[in-house]
Amino acid sequence: MPAVAWRQQAGWLVWIAAALVLLLLVLVPLAWLALTSVQDPTTGALTLRNYAFAFSKRIYLEPILNSFKLAAAVATIAVLVGTPLAWVVSRTDMPGRWLIRPLVLAAFVTPSFLGANAWIFLAAPNSGWLNRIWLALFHGEQGPFNVFSLQGAIFVIALYSIPYTFTLVSGTLELMSSELEDAATTLGSSNWRTTWQITLPLALPAILSGFLLSFLEALELFGPPAFLLIPARQQVMTTQLYLFFSQFPPQLEVAAAYAMPLLLVTICLLFVQRRILGRRRFVTVSGKGGVRRRTRLGPWRWPALGLALIPPALSVILPYGALLLVSLEHVWGKGPFAPGNLTGYWYRWAILDNATTREAILHSLEYSAGAATIAVIVATLVAYMVVRHMVPLTSLLGFTAMAPFVVPGIVLAIGFFAAYSHPPILLYGTAGILIAAYATRFLPIAFSNASGILRGINVDLENAARTLGAGRIHTLLSVTVPLLRTGLLSGWLLVFIPALRELSASVFLFTPRTQVVTTVIFDFSDAGNYEAVSTMGVLMMLITFLIVVVAYRFIGREVTRAR
Amino acid sequence: MEERVTRRDFVRLASGATAFAAGGGLGALLEACGGSASQAPSKPVEKDVTKLYAAARKEGSVTWWTAHYEQSAAETMAAAFKKKYSGVDVNLLRQTAQVLYTRLQNDLKAGQTECDVFASTDEGHYPPLKKAGALATFTPPDVDLLPRDFQSLDPDHQYYLGALGFVLINYRTDKVPTPPKSWKDLLDPQWKGKITTGHPGFSGYVGNWVLAMIDKYGDSYLRDLEKNGPKINRSINDTVTDIVQGERQVGAGPDNFSLAKKAQGNPIDIQFPTDDAILIGGPVGIMKGSQRPNAAQLFVNFMYSKEYSEALVSTSNYPLRADVKPVAGTPSLDKIKWHRNKVDRLTTGVPEAIQKWREIMGV
Repeated sequence: MPAVAWRQQAGWLVWIAAALVLLLLVLVPLAWLALTSVQDPTTGALTLRNYAFAFSKRIYLEPILNSFKLAAAVATIAVLVGTPLAWVVSRTDMPGRWLIRPLVLAAFVTPSFLGANAWIFLAAPNSGWLNRIWLALFHGEQGPFNVFSLQGAIFVIALYSIPYTFTLVSGTLELMSSELEDAATTLGSSNWRTTWQITLPLALPAILSGFLLSFLEALELFGPPAFLLIPARQQVMTTQLYLFFSQFPPQLEVAAAYAMPLLLVTICLLFVQRRILGRRRFVTVSGKGGVRRRTRLGPWRWPALGLALIPPALSVILPYGALLLVSLEHVWGKGPFAPGNLTGYWYRWAILDNATTREAILHSLEYSAGAATIAVIVATLVAYMVVRHMVPLTSLLGFTAMAPFVVPGIVLAIGFFAAYSHPPILLYGTAGILIAAYATRFLPIAFSNASGILRGINVDLENAARTLGAGRIHTLLSVTVPLLRTGLLSGWLLVFIPALRELSASVFLFTPRTQVVTTVIFDFSDAGNYEAVSTMGVLMMLITFLIVVVAYRFIGREVTRAR
Repeated sequence: MEERVTRRDFVRLASGATAFAAGGGLGALLEACGGSASQAPSKPVEKDVTKLYAAARKEGSVTWWTAHYEQSAAETMAAAFKKKYSGVDVNLLRQTAQVLYTRLQNDLKAGQTECDVFASTDEGHYPPLKKAGALATFTPPDVDLLPRDFQSLDPDHQYYLGALGFVLINYRTDKVPTPPKSWKDLLDPQWKGKITTGHPGFSGYVGNWVLAMIDKYGDSYLRDLEKNGPKINRSINDTVTDIVQGERQVGAGPDNFSLAKKAQGNPIDIQFPTDDAILIGGPVGIMKGSQRPNAAQLFVNFMYSKEYSEALVSTSNYPLRADVKPVAGTPSLDKIKWHRNKVDRLTTGVPEAIQKWREIMGV
């Protein structure tokens, strides 16, 4: 029948379109990035001069070293803090355990650049509140804290990295039954020795995985180093990339060359992480029931809670307190106690009076929603092709969909700029380039989410529909999608939330008419408008938390846990 | 030369404004400092903007990229325009000059830009734009009301003076009883760990200042400054923020934002250095490929209106028009010892200065 044939062909068009979009989102920008890195800026001829320039000067090599120092230190701290924290929450009878998890989740959704701004209020060497309190108590020339330093940046980034290790390790510990531990105890091992020799080694793959994720994240981060390290006259790779791109004279080609090693390193690290993570699954999900008993802490119960509250206090309570206070002060230099200084002025300004901030908030919501929708549709179609092995070489499609995970935001942005700032596809200057960049950056989340759920749906259900004459697309829409609805919605949120707080790609791709909340925050910080920065930060987080809470209520816990 | 600006200076300045308008005595000074004294545009100027306004309304908006003022001052200017010309919206992008210029260069390379009105603080940006044919030729009315020797920045009428400001010494009044008197004084070890500046790779003001310091004192100025451990931010306005917060105590800062913060009651003040305040003539030009040429023209015309200059003064910026009095605390131009970088020097000098700065300061 011609009608069916036509419908079947239209069906194929959808699959081809999905693959094509994947190509445009992932492969084209990366190909342009590689091409640009070997192009002469003026003639366009092939050359290695960009590499020679980027990697021959001391001032450009030092940032590379700094990046690795920073990432190693951040990952070490994150693991040393995150692991015991996960253990006391998951495996002990510490009081107030219920309190820690939401606080860690709050740290998780807080973008570290916002934390960095808050820590400027708290620990700038002279004006920081903690330093002022210190001086009031102990006198002296200068307080002990200096957030404008490599150590300061390590500290702040580590605070927001702890949740990675925490989530992975507590996930493992909660699945692990106590049988092995019981065996050790029966054989006369003390509680501590059992924890040290049995529990910890069992969690080792999760710990290593947390280390690598933190390392990767710290290497890729742009915001906190930009806020904290440029004033300290220290550079890391990402800030140097920003300078190549944004300072005069612009050096897009050198930036592309400089981005290459960062890309290679992240690819290698992710490869290692994947192997470890693979093994972790093997160990923990044993499928056996088993009993999980909590270690009794005895007299250490309360001190343990005190210690466990320190990371959330430093990453959530103090910073949000600082941001809230600054945002409520008309002129924050005057302090909260100056008469008439505590007002809602900046909120009124941001939401009602100022067109730029008002539009930026709307843009953020629109673009993130657009990106989440595109990412979920493309990811679901591609995942379907991969999971159902529809065409040959589907694993290649899956690999492409996961590839953006190893591309730092700033590198992806340079690739997007190189690819889409000129015909035939001119996206630069439109909202499209931001939406596409967000969709690409977070496509791996949507993809792994979608393929995970698709694998869980028995193919028989679809086969039934197909036997009755429905085409693939029809089947997908009428059978599979309804089954996946909750899962897809959670995938949508998992893209929406990080897109809302995306800074490192946005900074390169926005234009005045496509400002988003994060770029507005970045611009205001550069003119020292800290009240405005804090207000926009608080508003952004209010929106985020609101969405998280709604997601919790309607879709259940796994949504907010998955990432 | 003024040591500290007093109330008396301000009173004097009121009367000085009249002399200023006439341009008396100023010409020689300006000429010595490189102000090109070409004649006012000869083309007859249509002061009636009814037709232009109607065309601008049709276009609906103008996109203004500016490094001239900090965010809230720029918003005030945009609001003043929208008040006078309702129906024409202003899309404002305030960033530091080098960031704007880099963005513009990237846009032009991509073949299109949203920018209609480009207002940098580095005059060195304009000759390359002219050479690339990126700027429109135009003649705003009322340009003859500018200080005389700023009436024609560009003999080819492709850009005009859009803002006047200074880089000078900013200091914290409650912590610094005797501020540094000169740029040389900043190198004194007593200011170690107390200095804050912007970055020439971002800020046009800072680029102007760094170039002037290199030209006056050689590269050693930067090396000696580095020994004093300056905190380096991006914008020139960050200097003001650092001082207001108490994070640092002295720095190379602007006049406008500093005075605005002082007016709000913050413990900050400005000091005109004996070895010259650096005068920044921030130019303004219209992009040739603009989709909204009429709105752009209307907006630039507005810059020379009385309302605009009054809005400038209300945000502690130096007025463009000679018939509007400067803000309290700033003496008139003829009372200030200032230095202005020549445009040819800026075009080649600033990129070199940025490179030197990076190598010496590490960022």
